[in-house]
Amino acid sequence: MGQTLRRHFRPEQIRELSLVFLILGVLVFFSTQIPNYLSPRFFNRIASDVAIIAVVAIGQTLVILTRNVDLSVGSIVGVTAYVVGTFLTGNHELHPVLAVAMAIAIGAVLGTINGVLIAYGRVPAIITTLGTLAIYRAALVELSGAKTVVIDAMPRWLQELPGVTLASFAGLDVRLLVLIALAAVIIFQLVLSFTNLGRRLYAVGSNPDGARFAGLPSEQVVFIAFVLCGALSGLAGFMFLARFGNITVVAAQGMELQVIAAVVVGGVAIFGGQGTIIGALLGALLINILQQSLIRWISISAFWIDALLGALILAAVAADALILGRLRNLWARSEVQMTEADEKRVVGADVPK
Amino acid sequence: MARVIQRLKSWEGMLLILLIGVIAFNAWQSPVYLSAQNFVNLFQLSIEKIIVALVMTFVIINGEIDLSVASMMGLAACMLAFLYKAGQPMVLAIVVALFIGLIGGAFNGFWVARAGLPSLAVTLATLIMFRGLARVLLEDRSIGDFPQWFDDLGQQTVIGPFTLSFLIFAVGLVVAIVVLHYTGFGRYVRVIGNSKDVARYSGVQVPRVKMILYSASGLVAALGGVLLAARLGAVRGSTAEGFELDIITIVLLGGVSIFGGTGSMFGVLLSILLILNLRNGMGLLNISGNAQTGVIGALLILSVLVPNIASRLRQSFRTRQAAQAPPPPAVGKAVSAE
Amino acid sequence: MRGISKRFDTTQALEDVSLSLYPGEIHALLGENGAGKSTLIKIMTGVHPPDRGEIRLDEKPISLLNPIQAQTHGIAAIYQEPMVFPDLTVAENIFLTHRTRSPFVNWGRLYRDAEDILKQLDVKLDVRQPARGLTLAAQQTVEIAKAISLQVRVLIMDEPTASLSAHEVRQLFKLANTLRKQGVAILFISHRMEEVFEIADRVTVFRDGKWISTKPRVEVTPDGAIRDMVGREIHDLFAKTETARGETLLSVKNLGKERTFQGITFDVHRGEVVGLAGLVGARRTDVGLALFGVEPADVGEVVFAGKPVRITAPQQAMKIGIAYASEDRRALGLVMPMSVTENISLPMLREYLYGLGLINFGAEKKTAMQFRERLAIRTQTVDVPVAKLSGGNQQKVMLSKWLNVKPQLLILDEPTRGIDVGAKAEVHAMINELAEQGLGIILISSDMPEVMGMSDRIVVMREGRQMGIFTRAEATQETILAAAMGQG
Repeated sequence: MGQTLRRHFRPEQIRELSLVFLILGVLVFFSTQIPNYLSPRFFNRIASDVAIIAVVAIGQTLVILTRNVDLSVGSIVGVTAYVVGTFLTGNHELHPVLAVAMAIAIGAVLGTINGVLIAYGRVPAIITTLGTLAIYRAALVELSGAKTVVIDAMPRWLQELPGVTLASFAGLDVRLLVLIALAAVIIFQLVLSFTNLGRRLYAVGSNPDGARFAGLPSEQVVFIAFVLCGALSGLAGFMFLARFGNITVVAAQGMELQVIAAVVVGGVAIFGGQGTIIGALLGALLINILQQSLIRWISISAFWIDALLGALILAAVAADALILGRLRNLWARSEVQMTEADEKRVVGADVPK
Repeated sequence: MARVIQRLKSWEGMLLILLIGVIAFNAWQSPVYLSAQNFVNLFQLSIEKIIVALVMTFVIINGEIDLSVASMMGLAACMLAFLYKAGQPMVLAIVVALFIGLIGGAFNGFWVARAGLPSLAVTLATLIMFRGLARVLLEDRSIGDFPQWFDDLGQQTVIGPFTLSFLIFAVGLVVAIVVLHYTGFGRYVRVIGNSKDVARYSGVQVPRVKMILYSASGLVAALGGVLLAARLGAVRGSTAEGFELDIITIVLLGGVSIFGGTGSMFGVLLSILLILNLRNGMGLLNISGNAQTGVIGALLILSVLVPNIASRLRQSFRTRQAAQAPPPPAVGKAVSAE
Repeated sequence: MRGISKRFDTTQALEDVSLSLYPGEIHALLGENGAGKSTLIKIMTGVHPPDRGEIRLDEKPISLLNPIQAQTHGIAAIYQEPMVFPDLTVAENIFLTHRTRSPFVNWGRLYRDAEDILKQLDVKLDVRQPARGLTLAAQQTVEIAKAISLQVRVLIMDEPTASLSAHEVRQLFKLANTLRKQGVAILFISHRMEEVFEIADRVTVFRDGKWISTKPRVEVTPDGAIRDMVGREIHDLFAKTETARGETLLSVKNLGKERTFQGITFDVHRGEVVGLAGLVGARRTDVGLALFGVEPADVGEVVFAGKPVRITAPQQAMKIGIAYASEDRRALGLVMPMSVTENISLPMLREYLYGLGLINFGAEKKTAMQFRERLAIRTQTVDVPVAKLSGGNQQKVMLSKWLNVKPQLLILDEPTRGIDVGAKAEVHAMINELAEQGLGIILISSDMPEVMGMSDRIVVMREGRQMGIFTRAEATQETILAAAMGQG
């Protein structure tokens, strides 16, 4: 029984499965507490919120896998949303696809700056992105003169974009923005699982020295992770603009913490090498469902959200270290025992001199 | 002379030169710059942050990080305001606020030191948690109207031109220098920052040291929160939000390694002076607060980047020089396949 | 392929060194630490470019500016500590550095190819499992499989046997011989003389970054090679002087720790050296750690200096007079960036404090200077970081650190691993001196001649179990090895 379990599930998959159950548990609990809880509107709202966080979380996962961290994502989202919004205010005729491309390009440029400094300038990621967090935001405040982008000045298509629904089942909308986010999650999960780049992200985070000795292009891998993280944050910036319309210079401030929280709850190891994008998505989902539910739960004040969220993150990290670590050891030990058993057989046959 | 040059080449030397440059520039810009009053004013605007930075220096040298300090400042300030509003005497409110800091710090310490979780993750969680608790206390209210004596604590000068906060910083700085560089505890902090395992194998009680550091970090952050409340005269749920980045920047710019083990209080002091003077100078030039933060962010990156590039240039120069030298004559003892 | 000739000429670590490797030969490289072996490896694998000199493959000069270039030329290295990626599967580890034309991973083919290579090596390993948790030997096998998959032509083995059990060493040599037959040139680096003489075709000696000699194995004798390495004669490499056996200092009965070791029972007398012999995985270090309280034992009785004790923390062990010098100098023994003084005083820092916890820097430094004198630690001042000292001198700093605790029982775990012959002799002399002073010493060592030469009695362990205790008279290489392998 134990053996079959081990053959079919790796500890990571068990962790993701447990997140799914946790999410279901939360939904069941609140459905007994809040009348009309499981309404389509509720799910649509969660989907729209999570879509933005999830896209940034993809990028953050890529970076954290390499044993780095990007604290500047909130600033990148803000800058992109603001700059694209300002541009669209004056250029209504810009093709939507070009607007998205512009957002991704801006994000990628900012990510490239991070990547160059970290991968080639050898400045630790936490220092670099702490710096660029401030720099990008400062640049935005200075350039904008503290003006606000308003939704009414946007082209019509953008104003309508958040509501664009491709299909609808019993009130559950499949919205375009959500679909884009979902596509991004799937694409990047495939990249991680089935491309050389993906495996190298794991390799570099798993054993940085080993990667250098093995001649892996570590710098390049880290660089690409930051560029992708920037580009994805740019995409999220566009989605942020579409969803909220009114963009001030403090847009998405502090988002980096939400994103890192989602990624950590989703089981991505803060020291790299372990984790999946599906996990990060589940983490973002769980956090958002909790937030949305608490707002509607009358038993306690909505102000408890952050306090509980903090406790949740701590619980996730503690569970990873204490339970997942034990599971891994169990898995590893069963393998070692197998190889040792083999060895004994060989030793028996191979008489020492 | 050689030793002086050696000293100047170090991190502290670099900071010192920058600092002198900035002060000279500011003095040239504004004739009142070099007055004692201006010196005090300089400190006053960030005094709570730099007090907390003193303890943060220990935490980072120890190889850990505490992201939750700003939230703890906010939580302590909110707790104080909450209790005062609820009719408790102010003194009791202060004591409870400080006690909350100690408890919150020990809570971090427990997870990092005893449970062995990564401090980045733990204190990220408590950053959100402590801030959340602060919001639970005050919801969306802003509470002020503290007793006059309390507001005076933050605003009035005590001795000469110095405020209470400044005196606390000055005493704290001396204590920090002595503890870090001249006591057994400071030695343990550095040893653990360099190698937790060597410390453990040498009989150093690693969890205890970390526990003390985190408790101290929480307590001092709470003190910072109380002083901030006194200086501002009013508290909200978002008080001190985002301060952690400024505090960590001060410490890292002071030459403390983010990987732990190395760093000096002197460097951190220079970094504090540099940042304060730089902000002040930029203020004189009418540069906005946001742009100032951006400049300091750039300075943080450059402070690591420039030495990195310099050392690499030096290396490649040496290699090229060697490559240009004429090849040595073949040596007899060479064994080759020819 | 006629042959590979390399000519290096770097300024400090390597000075005008030349070496050639032929296809199908195993070429041993000997030298003390600091002789330039590691630098040579780093140059050959493209980690560091040489300052001067050239490397030729098939008579054509090649440039090795990075590890990838070295790999494309078929040059690979296997290190003592394998560089595996714990989160990747065995198969991925083998093929990670391959540059495939497709940017996608074909998992099915990856697993099949990995299984093929392991079959070729006659090794059973699940290619789908993550490398996390593999034994060192299994990890090395993965590295060898990786080298083979890269069509290796020059294989460098840097101290590959240092942490392997005897059986695993056999396996490794079998692999090396297979590769030799396939025409691979192998550069074999080892401190274990007997292995070198067993497997090498030719032997090269380096000293102080200079080439000293290259001879066919049949023309080399162990004494001659050692003479080349150190440039002087060394007598009686391993010799314990007879000391009077005092009263019982430590008595261990049925010591055990879950999943680690069990039933350990032995005594240590004052003035006695008790060797702990065994192969890797024998759990000898775990016994040492249990006695020092780093990883306390679960069951069993320990009587120390006449009193029953339960040791649960290093502080406590130090207080009653037990010290343990770790096998891993860099990671567990010394704080590399800190000074000699700071390292020596660390365990006893409390003794150097005034009131209020202030450090008495003068007293601390005085102690360090005394030890520098007593152990002949070669350093200009005691204020330099230990990272700047040679391996042997670092080992002496570590010994000083633990002698300063003034222990009655000193547990030395691999005290001479990775240090040069001269320093080794000095460490042995030190052990003798300490025993004469009445200390009890537990010597954990994988160096068979060392354990046999230095110990009064030898406890042999295998897989966490005690296999027997041998007196010096009873012990022969054969009896101990047989016990360690469970054949006794």
